Amino acid sequence: MNWYRQLDRAAIVLGLVSIMSAAFVFVHGTFQLVQIGTVGLVVALVLGLLAIAAGWLAERTLLIAAGVGFLLAATVQLVLLAGGGSGFLGGNASTFSLWLGLGAGLIAIGLVPRPEAIEEASQA
Amino acid sequence: MQSRSCHRGSTGALLAVVRIGVGLLWLQNVGWKTPPNFGRGDPPDGLYLSASYAVSDPVLPPFAWLMERFVLPNFTFFGWMVLLVEAALGAFLVIGLATRFWALIGIAQTVVIALSVLNAPHEWYWSYLLMLLVHVALFATAAGRYGGLDGLLRPEWELSRSWAARWLVRVS
Repeated sequence: MNWYRQLDRAAIVLGLVSIMSAAFVFVHGTFQLVQIGTVGLVVALVLGLLAIAAGWLAERTLLIAAGVGFLLAATVQLVLLAGGGSGFLGGNASTFSLWLGLGAGLIAIGLVPRPEAIEEASQA
Repeated sequence: MQSRSCHRGSTGALLAVVRIGVGLLWLQNVGWKTPPNFGRGDPPDGLYLSASYAVSDPVLPPFAWLMERFVLPNFTFFGWMVLLVEAALGAFLVIGLATRFWALIGIAQTVVIALSVLNAPHEWYWSYLLMLLVHVALFATAAGRYGGLDGLLRPEWELSRSWAARWLVRVS
């Protein structure tokens, strides 16, 4: 498999992880890995779908946008936690951790220059 | 030849399972570190209660002294440090990015936890030894190279001359 295609597939996997994490809105107790509230559910679904679309279309800008989106959501969740509660996102420090990982991963993949970008840079 | 590569494939997949499992351990357990006071109150609970076992049931006297004099009186700062370190451990071990670096941080954090709670009531000391050993295994096997972003991105980092890429090659 083409190496760039493997990068896109990794982005799709990260998007799927985000969408699967939405299931934790229904899970409570011992096996609740992350705490997802109603607004957090929307964040997980929208950004997860964006990451999947970015990987599917091999679109680097979308990949970075999804990654930045997750990092922004993680930062907002952290600020809300500092205020003493879950806030409107409804998450906890585990949610922050998950979104931090998804954001960092998508940005790390998105920062890899693609052949067309390298070609454009060499022509300029 | 074929069976050897199959073996490598299954070993890599199992290492990925171990790495992701350890990452989820941190990811889930950072959830009960609750700012802004991290359980400091009357009665204490959560992270503050766990940290205070280092003083009430000391494991290593110099560590107990350090906790009593510096950590517990400034617990908001140290609580945030614990939250950020453990959240990052969960995040980066799950995706397998800079895995060897985070395995070392995991070893250090496990030692700190063990020195705090090893003598607390109802603790099973082997659980902390197992935590320590599994991070050693993640470091020794460079587990992020199997099903993780380290394995995927290393070829690109090896070609790059940037300091960040060179650092990532070393810690992946």
